[in-house]
Amino acid sequence: MPSITTPLRRAAPLVLLALAALAAIVAPRPAASQEPEFFDVPWAYNQWMFGRPMDMSTLRYCVDTREPDWEVAAAIADTIARGLLLESQRYVVDTPVTVADDITRIYAIMLEHCDLHMGFKLIPEGYDTWVTLTDAYYVSQYVYVSANPDVRQLGDVPRDRPIGATIGTSGHLGLLTYLRTAGTGQRWPIFPMANDDLALQALLNGTVDVALVWAPTLWAKQRSDPAYAALHAIQPNPVQPTSLGVGAILLADQIFLRAAVDEAIAALKADGTFGEILEFYGFPATALP
Amino acid sequence: MRHSKLLLALVASTSSLLAVQTASAQDGPAANLATITADTLLNPADGDWLMWRRTYDGWGYSPLDQINQDNVGDLRLEWSWGMSAGGTQQTPIVYDGVMFLQNSDHTIQALDATNGQLIWQYEHDLPDGVNPAGERAMAIWGDTLIVATRDSHVLAIDFRTGELVWDTVIADYTMRYANSSGPIVANGVVVQGTTGCGQAQPGGCFFTGLDAATGAILWKVNTIAQGDDPNTNTWNGVPVENRFGGSAWIPGSYDPVQNLIFAGTGQIYPWNAEMAGLVPRSADPNLSNEALYTNSTLALDPTTGEMKWYHQYLPTDSLDLDYVYERILVDLEVDGVMRQTVVTTGKLGIIEVLDRVSGDFLWARETVPQNVVLSWDPDTGVKTINPEVMPVIGQTTFNCPADPGGRAWQATSYSPRTGALYLPTVEFCSNTTVQPLDPGQAYTGGGRQTYARVPVPDSDGNIGQVRAINLTDQSEMWQYRQRAPVTTSTLPTGGGLVFVGTLDRRLLAFNDETGELLWESPALINALESFPITYEVDGRQYVAVGASFGNGLGRLISLTPEVRRPPTNPVAMFVFALPE
Repeated sequence: MPSITTPLRRAAPLVLLALAALAAIVAPRPAASQEPEFFDVPWAYNQWMFGRPMDMSTLRYCVDTREPDWEVAAAIADTIARGLLLESQRYVVDTPVTVADDITRIYAIMLEHCDLHMGFKLIPEGYDTWVTLTDAYYVSQYVYVSANPDVRQLGDVPRDRPIGATIGTSGHLGLLTYLRTAGTGQRWPIFPMANDDLALQALLNGTVDVALVWAPTLWAKQRSDPAYAALHAIQPNPVQPTSLGVGAILLADQIFLRAAVDEAIAALKADGTFGEILEFYGFPATALP
Repeated sequence: MRHSKLLLALVASTSSLLAVQTASAQDGPAANLATITADTLLNPADGDWLMWRRTYDGWGYSPLDQINQDNVGDLRLEWSWGMSAGGTQQTPIVYDGVMFLQNSDHTIQALDATNGQLIWQYEHDLPDGVNPAGERAMAIWGDTLIVATRDSHVLAIDFRTGELVWDTVIADYTMRYANSSGPIVANGVVVQGTTGCGQAQPGGCFFTGLDAATGAILWKVNTIAQGDDPNTNTWNGVPVENRFGGSAWIPGSYDPVQNLIFAGTGQIYPWNAEMAGLVPRSADPNLSNEALYTNSTLALDPTTGEMKWYHQYLPTDSLDLDYVYERILVDLEVDGVMRQTVVTTGKLGIIEVLDRVSGDFLWARETVPQNVVLSWDPDTGVKTINPEVMPVIGQTTFNCPADPGGRAWQATSYSPRTGALYLPTVEFCSNTTVQPLDPGQAYTGGGRQTYARVPVPDSDGNIGQVRAINLTDQSEMWQYRQRAPVTTSTLPTGGGLVFVGTLDRRLLAFNDETGELLWESPALINALESFPITYEVDGRQYVAVGASFGNGLGRLISLTPEVRRPPTNPVAMFVFALPE
């Protein structure tokens, strides 16, 4: 964990925000609006036992070790807290469950442990009404990855060779949209992959010629396992690149805290603080104002 | 997570799994329960409810007639029992005066079925990360109650004492494998379907056969064709490790003459066939894209796991239109010939009838308004799908119905009194938009498309119905319509009644021949999303229904916003009887 000191120096303009953040944490929550449905309905065991946090000087945030960027996200969250003159309180979600296809699981975690849960992509209409998102603290993209050093762009890959794409991602949908316009014989076979890890493994074992994954996953794999060192991202053309902002989610009634965090994010992007964090980690993302 | 419950323990086992007995357990009504034999299940006592749909044929019918058309108006609450928080869709088992309940958190309880007094309790601790969402059914065999859990265990619990007899793990919960319904026990084999095969589980779901006496795993049958199965070529060239779905989340039915289980399978994951790699169809003539054995009936030998035949109802499904629900085994006259049939109805609300010996298609009949199927071949049942309803990335399409279906997991039932199939149905449509699944790397959107549910065009505003369809001539005998969705299974009885529960917290009773509403309960504690049952103890008939918002047809609450649910989402069992 690096020491990021510059944000402390630069945090002075955020003092006013800190007052707003304090107010946000203690502010009463508005009454629930219209009855939500299905996945809109979050539920936590003994949920009525969780009240308003009494410690008003901390910013409680969660990071999930299943997310490839969790260390970077933690550094960003610590910086936001310092910018708001709050003490950061980190909760690391560490579970053996591979994926959770029901996002309402986060509700229980957030009730108990955190006001901000880091690491969520800003997908239009991608969230139900019980959560809200902050602004993006960085922007990254889906990348096409090859193990063949001679392949520089997707267009170099023969059209009969399979691409392993993690199921249902925005990048996957972008690729499918392109393929719909391609003529017969011009479409790569697409193998839906359960997750980025399996897509990259399929690339290593030769099941697919290209893997379409979230760039931070490739970054994390190459950082931790030399087996992935030879993999490289290639240019996406002729397919358009897919970029997404990443922010944090809050429970929807945390209106004032969200406003304070958003202002902090804007300031910390504008003064280059987030950019320095990303550079420190060599993280494949940008944090431009 | 539930340490406070330990305070209730009077007797604890030495393992982390906990059996709790009340002081009266040794002398109570559970202590003298007789061993369940094959014959007990083949010929259950009229007063018992020993499996999910009461009998192997899946009828969901009780011959009890003490409560009947003449006196149902006098029905009143006899007792109730609060259950663990969390949506559950469970079906009680009642055996010789003892009711067995499974709570959402897998707290298993034995109650005196006449008054709701607790006899014993067993707790199965779920690991962190697994939702306590209950199970739809349990089974009973030998001296044990057999239950499945959300973390992919199958347990056998001594039904007299509440002590664990065996515990078998059938799948890895960390890969999101789960059980959401309990098993059926046939010929000494526990047959358990696995669900949750949406993303982290390459190769799809499966059925598992376990020895009912020991819990030893005897066989597994994949619900996605693979290996040397010739139907592996029905996945458009997508490798088996990239195929998802085929969840088996409803217990099957059992034909003891053929020694066959008839069980259903769900759709592909993700729901969108283009995302799943099934469309566009490959130009390779050796490949097809039906995605077998999704949305099918599988005829399985419970002894060996051998698949005798299959029938797929909806290939290349792109709308989450499961055909996983109950299979009703009934002999019907078809074109002048008596046929042994298996009847099921998928989310489209189309009743479909097969010969259960050959698997041949016999007939089908629509019920709710739908625009997905344009027609079907009368000889094979092969459907022509309306291309305009198929979801397209970047567009919004309109389909009727959508998930959760014109009928959902709330089971249909058959009454031999009337020859009718009683369907709990709902009418609605959806503006459907394909949605990315990647909000987080660890938290995906499941199989979702966004279904913005709307009423059927020119709707009378009534979302919920009960439909009675004569299975001999396929005519509609009657139809009851109401504003709020109907949200329990139907329960026909020998008393000429059909019970059903609703989202607006009422249990209703109809005349089974006319559909006349004869009785309705006061509003209960929560929506009724469960499987009502009836049973008899010491000559007195009871009707039991679980109150719970179980995330089934309750999702349609967005269409009836005036129906309010209690914010704390309480769960309870209510039992009614006539005055003594």
